[in-house]
Amino acid sequence: MSESTDSSKQLFGYVAEFSSAADLYHAAEKVRDAGFRKWDVHTPYPVHGMDAAMGMGKSWLSALVLAGGITGSCVALFMQFFTQVNLYPTVVQNKPTNLFTLPAFFPVTFELTILLSAFAVVFGLLVFLMLPRWNHPLFESALFRKFSDDGFIMVIEARDPRFKKEKTREFLETIGASQIEGVEY
Amino acid sequence: MAGLKDADDFKDGEHFKGAGLLKFVLGIVGFGGMALFLLLAFFWKDKTPEMAYSWLFAVVFFLSLSVGGLFWTLLHHASNSGWGTVVRRLMENLGSMIPFILILGVPFLIEGCGFRNALWEWFPEREAALHSAEVETEAHFAEYKADLEADVAKADAEVKAGEAAISSQPNLKPGEKRHLEDKLQVLKKQAAELGEEDLSDDAGLRAKLKDDYFREEAALLHAKQGFLNEGSWFVRYLLYFIGLTGVIFILRGWSIKQDRDGDPKWFLLMRRWSCGFLPIFAVSWTFLVFDWLMALDYTWFSTMWGVYLFAGAALNSMGLLVIVLTLLRRAGYLKNVVTMEHYHLMGKLMLAFTIFWAYIAFSQFFLIWYANITEETKFYLTRNTDFWNVYTITFLVIGHFFVPFAALLIQKFKMMPAVLSGIAVWNLIMHSLDIYWIIIPERGVSLTNGTQMTMPGAWLFDLLAFVSVAGIFGFFLLRQLGSASLFPCRDPRLDESLNVVN
Repeated sequence: MSESTDSSKQLFGYVAEFSSAADLYHAAEKVRDAGFRKWDVHTPYPVHGMDAAMGMGKSWLSALVLAGGITGSCVALFMQFFTQVNLYPTVVQNKPTNLFTLPAFFPVTFELTILLSAFAVVFGLLVFLMLPRWNHPLFESALFRKFSDDGFIMVIEARDPRFKKEKTREFLETIGASQIEGVEY
Repeated sequence: MAGLKDADDFKDGEHFKGAGLLKFVLGIVGFGGMALFLLLAFFWKDKTPEMAYSWLFAVVFFLSLSVGGLFWTLLHHASNSGWGTVVRRLMENLGSMIPFILILGVPFLIEGCGFRNALWEWFPEREAALHSAEVETEAHFAEYKADLEADVAKADAEVKAGEAAISSQPNLKPGEKRHLEDKLQVLKKQAAELGEEDLSDDAGLRAKLKDDYFREEAALLHAKQGFLNEGSWFVRYLLYFIGLTGVIFILRGWSIKQDRDGDPKWFLLMRRWSCGFLPIFAVSWTFLVFDWLMALDYTWFSTMWGVYLFAGAALNSMGLLVIVLTLLRRAGYLKNVVTMEHYHLMGKLMLAFTIFWAYIAFSQFFLIWYANITEETKFYLTRNTDFWNVYTITFLVIGHFFVPFAALLIQKFKMMPAVLSGIAVWNLIMHSLDIYWIIIPERGVSLTNGTQMTMPGAWLFDLLAFVSVAGIFGFFLLRQLGSASLFPCRDPRLDESLNVVN
């Protein structure tokens, strides 16, 4: 696909193909060192150590899950203590209605902790990935599509502060991209 | 990515040398302590029953760690894992401690030691019940036999009377006749049942009478006699020994042979046989803890007992592996072989088994607490009385679960050998307190017939037993570490394990 000259369109970024996973890995190290932030790599299979090569920090998702889990525990304990001990003490099997009823409340607490943790994963991921969405500019690129077949693809987006139309293209060439394509939207 | 390690560079393995002084000290402490302990138990007859519990505590604690090593070896093969090949030899070494620790259990087998009858009341109680049944049988056998003969004669007479009643009245109405015939049938049946008893077989009759008296004397022991009897107890001990020792020695032997000839057939053999060995391990360990721990109170039972003890064993032998690994790396071994990725994986397994232990321990408590059935709650009632209540909440609920759970959730901690080892040490302490909690509350209750919860001063024996067995365990572990390469140096999966990323 050639670059369009339609002035109403903007450059989304560059899609670059590398010839092997090793090339892509080393290129990623260089892009990381050059200080780019809004970029990603796409490969047909997971490449071990790529997160380190890309300089990715720890995901915030685990913190979100912890928050979800703690919320679940607290909500479950509060609901059970409030309804079964404070509001309307319920005596079952001659069990006490005070702090020592705690074991009876554990199954529900355990389940709700897991439920809200799972919700935090699913919905947190959707938010972090900005999903669902109808379309993505990269889907226009035939080169990009190769990542699910045999292509080792790197994408640098134009919204990156270090992105320069010409310089970034040259940069991608110097780090070993075999094919480069500009994607517009 | 860059600089993948090649297993060929590691094919000579690493051999553990030195630590001679440490081994010597551990040997002195272990064997010296054991000699002192056994001498004390032998000559201080008043304290022998208390010391039996101390010895059981120490032996079970270290046995659980060894059995955990066996489990991880088996699991590694059965699940066809690649990550842990570099630490597999350490698992095998830990598992090969089993025979040494099981031999330390020999005092339980010898009745003269006084350990057996102090620990498992069913031995003396069964003996007493059988003895009194014997006495009763002797006293009442003649009477019993006379009664039986009289019963048979009476039944026969009744049958004859019934027949006579029918034949002497020819003019009976059909209904009346039918009625008498029915009655006769019942009498005949009774007589036939009684007639089945062979009155000339005195030995058989005696055995039957004795069994009746035994049931009267101790109904529970009578019902459980298929499992709780001396003969099968000894046979089971032998089977545990053969089963657990045999499995780990076969696997470790194959693994070391592969170090020498590099033939992948050993690897395939280990993988194939481990699936078959897993049930042997599971059944042996489950029944061993039934025999040694659940039988401390033969009236109590829990269906989750085996898995509860298994969870603690698996968790803490993984912890011990981390500690041994860290110490070896400190001493300069395995530096290039084991990476932080391995630590991370082992830390993850520790986290998983911390949760698993808590899940099982809580489920066992929860089901018994909620059902509130007398014969089941006994165990927890004992362990919730006096200071054992605070002990349970502090060490088992908070110490054994919440603290390591929170610490192991943090990803960074699992990649820091010192921190992970610290957590493992904490876990080991909690595990020892868990085993202590299983065995020791039974001591006061059993030995004083329920008047005392604890035996004052007996904790000194617990400490002595623990230190002795720890010394012996350490001594043999160092010996086993030195007897082969520290990792399976020519395993086909070594490449994968050296470069593992997770």
